[in-house]
Amino acid sequence: MSEDPPEQEEQRGSGAGLPGSGTGQAGRAVALARLLHRECSHLLQLFVRRVSLYVNYTPDGGRIVSLSAASEEPSTEEQVLVMHSALRQCLGLIHCVILKEEEEWGELEGDYESMRKNVHQRLEYLLHTTKALMETEETILEVTPDHQCTEEVDGSAGVFALKMWTYRVLLELVHWADHAANTLYKLQSEREEKDQN
Amino acid sequence: MTLNAMQLLKFTWLLIVFMSLSSWAKDVIPIPQQVSLSENLKTQQVSISWVGGEATTFDLLILRTELNDTVFYETVTVAAEASGQSKFLWTSAEPLECTSLSFRVRSRSGQLTSDWSSTQILQGNDSPTDERMQAYPQDKTVPAGSNITFCCIIGEGKSFDSFHFISESINVTRLSRRTYAATVYNLKPSRSYGHNAYCKGKTEAELYGAVIFVGYPPLFTDFICETHDLTSAVCHWTEPRKTQLLGRRQTRYSINGRNCSVVHLEQNRKQCSFPRWEENWKLLGWNPLGEYSLTDIADVRSRVVPLPPEELSTVANARNATVTWQWKLNHYVSLPLVCQVELMSSDDKTKRTFSGVGLRSATLLDLYPYEEYSVKVRCGAQQNFWRWGNWSKTISFQTDSEIPSAPDVWMWMNGDTTGQILWKPYEPRKSHGPIVSYEVTLWSPDDITRHTQIVSPETFAMPVNLSGISINNTKVIASVVAKNPAGLSPPESLGLPLHVNDLDSEAITKVDFREGAFPLSWQSDANSSCGYIVEWYEASCQRDCPVEWIKVGEEITNVSIKSDAFEPGVRYYFSLYSCSSEAPELLKRWEGYTRELAPSSSVQLSTEQQDSDILISWSEIPSTHRRGFLLGYNVYLNNGSQLTKLASLSTQENSYTVKGFPLGSYKFTVKAFTSAGEDTGGTASITLESSADWLIFEILATLGVTALALIIVTFVCYKKRKWVKSAFYPAIPEPKVPSDWSTPHGTLDVKPSPHSMVHIVEKPEWDSSKEVLVVIPEEDEDDEGQGIRDEPVDTDEPTSLRYYNQVVDERPIRPRYPDSSASSASSMDSGRTDVTYTGIQTSGSSLVFQSDSQSSSDQPLVVPESCGGADGGYRPQMQLPPENDNASLAQSHSLPESQACRSGGYRPQNNWQLDSPDEADERRSLAPSLGSPTSIASTQFLLPDQSSDELAEEKHQSSAATWLTNLLSTTKP
Repeated sequence: MSEDPPEQEEQRGSGAGLPGSGTGQAGRAVALARLLHRECSHLLQLFVRRVSLYVNYTPDGGRIVSLSAASEEPSTEEQVLVMHSALRQCLGLIHCVILKEEEEWGELEGDYESMRKNVHQRLEYLLHTTKALMETEETILEVTPDHQCTEEVDGSAGVFALKMWTYRVLLELVHWADHAANTLYKLQSEREEKDQN
Repeated sequence: MTLNAMQLLKFTWLLIVFMSLSSWAKDVIPIPQQVSLSENLKTQQVSISWVGGEATTFDLLILRTELNDTVFYETVTVAAEASGQSKFLWTSAEPLECTSLSFRVRSRSGQLTSDWSSTQILQGNDSPTDERMQAYPQDKTVPAGSNITFCCIIGEGKSFDSFHFISESINVTRLSRRTYAATVYNLKPSRSYGHNAYCKGKTEAELYGAVIFVGYPPLFTDFICETHDLTSAVCHWTEPRKTQLLGRRQTRYSINGRNCSVVHLEQNRKQCSFPRWEENWKLLGWNPLGEYSLTDIADVRSRVVPLPPEELSTVANARNATVTWQWKLNHYVSLPLVCQVELMSSDDKTKRTFSGVGLRSATLLDLYPYEEYSVKVRCGAQQNFWRWGNWSKTISFQTDSEIPSAPDVWMWMNGDTTGQILWKPYEPRKSHGPIVSYEVTLWSPDDITRHTQIVSPETFAMPVNLSGISINNTKVIASVVAKNPAGLSPPESLGLPLHVNDLDSEAITKVDFREGAFPLSWQSDANSSCGYIVEWYEASCQRDCPVEWIKVGEEITNVSIKSDAFEPGVRYYFSLYSCSSEAPELLKRWEGYTRELAPSSSVQLSTEQQDSDILISWSEIPSTHRRGFLLGYNVYLNNGSQLTKLASLSTQENSYTVKGFPLGSYKFTVKAFTSAGEDTGGTASITLESSADWLIFEILATLGVTALALIIVTFVCYKKRKWVKSAFYPAIPEPKVPSDWSTPHGTLDVKPSPHSMVHIVEKPEWDSSKEVLVVIPEEDEDDEGQGIRDEPVDTDEPTSLRYYNQVVDERPIRPRYPDSSASSASSMDSGRTDVTYTGIQTSGSSLVFQSDSQSSSDQPLVVPESCGGADGGYRPQMQLPPENDNASLAQSHSLPESQACRSGGYRPQNNWQLDSPDEADERRSLAPSLGSPTSIASTQFLLPDQSSDELAEEKHQSSAATWLTNLLSTTKP
């Protein structure tokens, strides 16, 4: 299991472009998103193993994080902005998961807790990277968590509900990390194409 | 009719009475009123209260509302409270949320009961108004080993599929239309995140459940409060059992009612600190499963545990060092303290205790020079000592060096004037510093010159040769000193013997190895002024041996020698020397083995026959191969697979004589043996033969017996000669010779015909029944014989002849010459020559086969029976001239038979003279034929033409010496 800080693994993951340039930043963002996707998947495995969850469970009720684009056929930049917004909600969700789990189980130090911390930091860093990639004078991007961790999970109390909700949040993280990797790759490809032209 | 009316009246009356009584009972036993319910969902308990009047016994009925299943129906006795209410606390096995329950109560008095009260319903969560999928109990914490019942309420309109606890499917009971329950028994402690219990609907998304936490109530021991500074308190305790509960369910603690921030120490120890000391301390711990408390009462002065000393430092000399330290708290300056200093060297660890008010230093004595030490300090209160505080950090120091002690010196002298000065390397701590060099000095009190040699610190021996010492010197002394950075050691001197006096081998005593050592003891020697030296070495060593030694005081008379270098099967010498101002004197010597082994090699064995005995002798086993004290030799007879002991001999014997063995081959094995057993044995073989004298005796005896037998036979023959003569040599009349044969008339020149054919010629003067054979050449046969011309000529074979008798003798055939028959048999195979006698009635006494003169010696001939065949061959036949039959007949008759019999082999009677080369050629042409195998078969004897009387007369004239030969010949088949 990779426990390296995000800064170190980022160097490993960046495969295209030069730092500072548009394509270089996009490449770094792609690598970061892919790394985040792998870590989210691993975190999900650790969670399922830790709480002995029924692994065939398919949550009903659709996505926790759902966003609609401004137009029916959004551009890649618009898709990245939507993705950025979704990642902010994901950051809020993982933040909420950490709060609720520590409230329930206390502050523990295990593989799951370590990876959970990694994912949280990696997600923050990806948001900063995306912001740097997309922010212009007209477009101001926030990187703070977009989730109020106040209501009961899924409207019901209980540790079992917390486990199920955490499972849904981790699935959501896996989904949006994958989505971010694909979207950012699309952006990187377009910018490379532009640079070549 | 009247009767029926009466009966009806009677029945009606009884009915009225019964109904009246029943109505009376109901009026007398009041129905419980004001029934109410109060539930506790966490404990799954329902408190039922009612007003029952004077009654104390009630029937309580609890039903599941939907399915009307009875959950509880019992008669209970409860006393009314002051308010007139009766209460009963009922605990449900299932969570109360699972389904709605109906409660009814009635009073009972003996067998009489009141009516049921009105039904009170405790509403469950499975009502149609609540369509959610639910599971109960939620997040409950139960002690390990308990049982629990879960229930699932499926969503409205959904279907139930299964219930699972952890990963195991559990059978369920239906409680209501939407509620299913399952019970799990004997719960195991859950992991920190609880056990999952969940229900599945028909789809994967329909999943809902609860988590159950299974653990233990708090338990702890060894609750103690101490102080470091006489003001504050540090309390700690041990949790021998984990509760298996985390987070909000973990155990929480308070001391004297104040929450404490627990510090987790090692080995399940926990600690909590408070700024002020209190005399009484109470620790309380609690979790959802219960609470536990311990108390501790102590005066602050009796619980002082000083903090570890800080800033340790040392000042070291060669044999002592001073350790100093500082205190973090000023409280200790006036506090009587006891401190423990742990001193650690490379192989030792000691604790030394010091005390004093506000102690800050300690002096460590009796240290070794030039030694590495580590030291650490801990302290406790000198008064009301409670326990030692923690150890300080460890520091290291090294003591200074000092001059070495005197080296341990000894010597080894060879048989001559050479030897070695030896000294032992310094043991640890004896050199007092690193040895720089050794100085060895040889000197004599009678001589002012000194010979000093400086050697490296790795050298521990120096060869000496005393041959150059002046003869005026009465003694030579060797002195050795060691040098280290601190200076020279005191010298160690040793007198060297100018003449080596060794002990006899018989004076050597055997010593046993017991309890890991050789125990040696001796009588005190008056000349020993400075003790004794015991040296030991391997007995097999002769020169410059690696000797070991120890020196003991003069009061010592016994010592046990131990050494890691001792090996089993090796003989060691132990020598005791006296120590005096003169050279050491050898007093005694021992020899011994740590463990004897069987000899590693065998004797060299030899055997020798001495007359009819066998002498076995062998050589000694080399001493290094004996590996033990030889006890003797065992002599075995070795038959290959088994050894038969013949003798067991002492070590003084090295031969053994085996007696009484019959002639034949023997193998002997001799094994030397020690207390550990025999060696593999030496083996030698010998073949025991009869001696030459006996052989000569046997030959002479045989010859004597033979001679005696001959004499007896001769004597008997002589005595019985007449009988012998008549039996074996009857009288034979002498032939009548017409003229004097002794005088030859000339050379008999008979030229044989190269081609012979026997013609039967009618002889008028002979009996007509008799015919004569005439040799007739047969060209066909010659031609046939040409075909094998290249074959080797077998001169044994006669010329191809065929004899055709006109008159066949009917007498039976008796073969007389097996050799000829054999020859004819082979002739049959070749098909070359076939001589057949079908019957000859003519006189055959002179009839022989002609043979070539050159091959006559090998030519097989048929001779008359009167010759007996004992001559072992054929004699050449005289060729009768065909023109003079009479002459030929006469000539053949005139040939003396006795002469022919005496010939003893082939002897030509004439030299064949070939008249012409043609004849010679003709003869040569016959050679192949002559060399051909010949088959001879006879149906008649070839009888001489003479009468038997004449033959008898002729034999009578034979030499007497041939009678025995003839006798033997006639006995042949």
